Amino acid sequence: MSQILLQGRPESAEPASRNAGGRLLVRVLEVQREADGVVSIELGSDDASALPAWSPGAHIDVILPDGLVRQYSLCGAPEDRTRWRIGVLLEPEGRGGSSFIHNRVRAGDALQVAGPRNNFALGDAEEYLFIAGGIGITPILPMVRSVAASRRRWKLLYGGRTRRSMAFLDELTALDGDVLILPQDQHGHPDLPGFIGAYRPGVTVHCCGPGAMIDAVEAACQTWPASAIRRERFVASAKPSAEDEEAFEVELARSGTRITVPGDRGLLDVLEEAGCKIDNSCRAGICGTCVVRVLAGIPQHNDDILDDEQRASGTLILPCVSRCRSKLLVLDL
Amino acid sequence: MSDAAEALKLDTTKVRGGTGLDAIRDEVDEVLQSAFDTTKSAAEAFFESYDRNPNPKALAAWLANRCWREIDYVMLLNEQIRRYGLAYKRHHITLLAKQSFQEAEHYETVGKLVETLGGEVPTSVPAIAAPWSKFLWDSMDRHPLGAIAAWYASETSATGAFEPLFAGVERHGLKDVAKTYRQIEIDEKFHTSLGRQILSTYAKTDEDRAEILRAMRGMRDIAWTSLTPEAVAEALTA
Repeated sequence: MSQILLQGRPESAEPASRNAGGRLLVRVLEVQREADGVVSIELGSDDASALPAWSPGAHIDVILPDGLVRQYSLCGAPEDRTRWRIGVLLEPEGRGGSSFIHNRVRAGDALQVAGPRNNFALGDAEEYLFIAGGIGITPILPMVRSVAASRRRWKLLYGGRTRRSMAFLDELTALDGDVLILPQDQHGHPDLPGFIGAYRPGVTVHCCGPGAMIDAVEAACQTWPASAIRRERFVASAKPSAEDEEAFEVELARSGTRITVPGDRGLLDVLEEAGCKIDNSCRAGICGTCVVRVLAGIPQHNDDILDDEQRASGTLILPCVSRCRSKLLVLDL
Repeated sequence: MSDAAEALKLDTTKVRGGTGLDAIRDEVDEVLQSAFDTTKSAAEAFFESYDRNPNPKALAAWLANRCWREIDYVMLLNEQIRRYGLAYKRHHITLLAKQSFQEAEHYETVGKLVETLGGEVPTSVPAIAAPWSKFLWDSMDRHPLGAIAAWYASETSATGAFEPLFAGVERHGLKDVAKTYRQIEIDEKFHTSLGRQILSTYAKTDEDRAEILRAMRGMRDIAWTSLTPEAVAEALTA
């Protein structure tokens, strides 16, 4: 289901070039309705010069005229350097960014963008399990295409509120692969543990969607190696207050020692009391000195120094401020 | 440093903060790199001269200059908190105070090295450090973020001296110097990261950014000059 709403509107052409702040001026080529509440926007450069390259999982910042900045995943074809495509979900309760795009952006308009950046890169694996919820399909779609083209094994579980609200269904079902379309009004909540199954070497999970879905995937993958799960949350999880922190177990992989980290104690403090000597300085999550490798479990990152890709990899943690989402965290200590 | 920390060497210029430096990110990073490079060259030159003539008093004088910087930072950081700190988020006040505490520890430990080598621990600005100190304090008087920008550049430049220092003192078996500076190296990651975060959080206007670049460039041009063998030789004859 897609309709072209409006074609080009005469505007004075502005060349696409990066300005002093590193931003790129692009032209809206086309706006299409993809599903209930979802439009796709195709962007291109005025002078037919190639847009910056990107890889599946990448996103761009769209700078709206009132200064709001919104991130949108690129969901077109990376090999097509003449245009980018993003998908935008209308969020009536949001701060106005999606409303502006849905109601005001038209083909022919100029927009400022920054990027692309990629904090959710497609990992290298023998088999892929893709899980997308709602508009979370946007970074997953080019990943699925890339893996399908390389003839590696893959499955996709795509959930949404209703079938009418789920974008890009035609493109997905045209791919030669195992695509499960599970609208909630017909199928209820998907059986994520059943879809994911037990851990086996060579399999990687990539998921993107609402926080509750990602939490459920993380819970189903608690015992998986950290590097086998990649996720992108479209809304940052709220930092829990001290009162909300839960206890978890930490295992020191080299000795097999397990220690409980109570809700009211920091991981670094507990590790030091157990005799681990970990260099540290700020004990505030900004210097990176205490960084430790994670072998299993899901870190809850509360630091300010790991970049988005490092956080998403789940293979590092700063124990001075960070904790664990899963019941067990295994560290390379 | 742990295996992970050594292998990863997380980039403190990427610390999360605000967007205050975004418009001048390239200029800031260029200043930091050149500050690092010029200080590295100066330190290499000093240790090459020390190899030719391993005079403990020359090393003591080289370290005494750095020793003075540590205590100057202590006073500067506390003045920064006094003048401007209540406009910051509370955790930044805590972190600035923590940095001040560490700088005081550095003054103590580097001071011991200076004395062991037969030098004198400075208790007032030594001539060799005067231009550096004056610029730092003038930067604070000019703008609330001036001193932070100046010491961010200075601390970053100081990290350029680590590699030549470790190599140089190892050649001469000066294990205490190496041990002291290993800890300082760890702490400098915190200090530079904090400087970056504070600048990116509280810089709001183009005027703020212009002052930040002025302070950083000025300190870049000064910081290395007191670390050369010529500067040390002049300090010894003064």
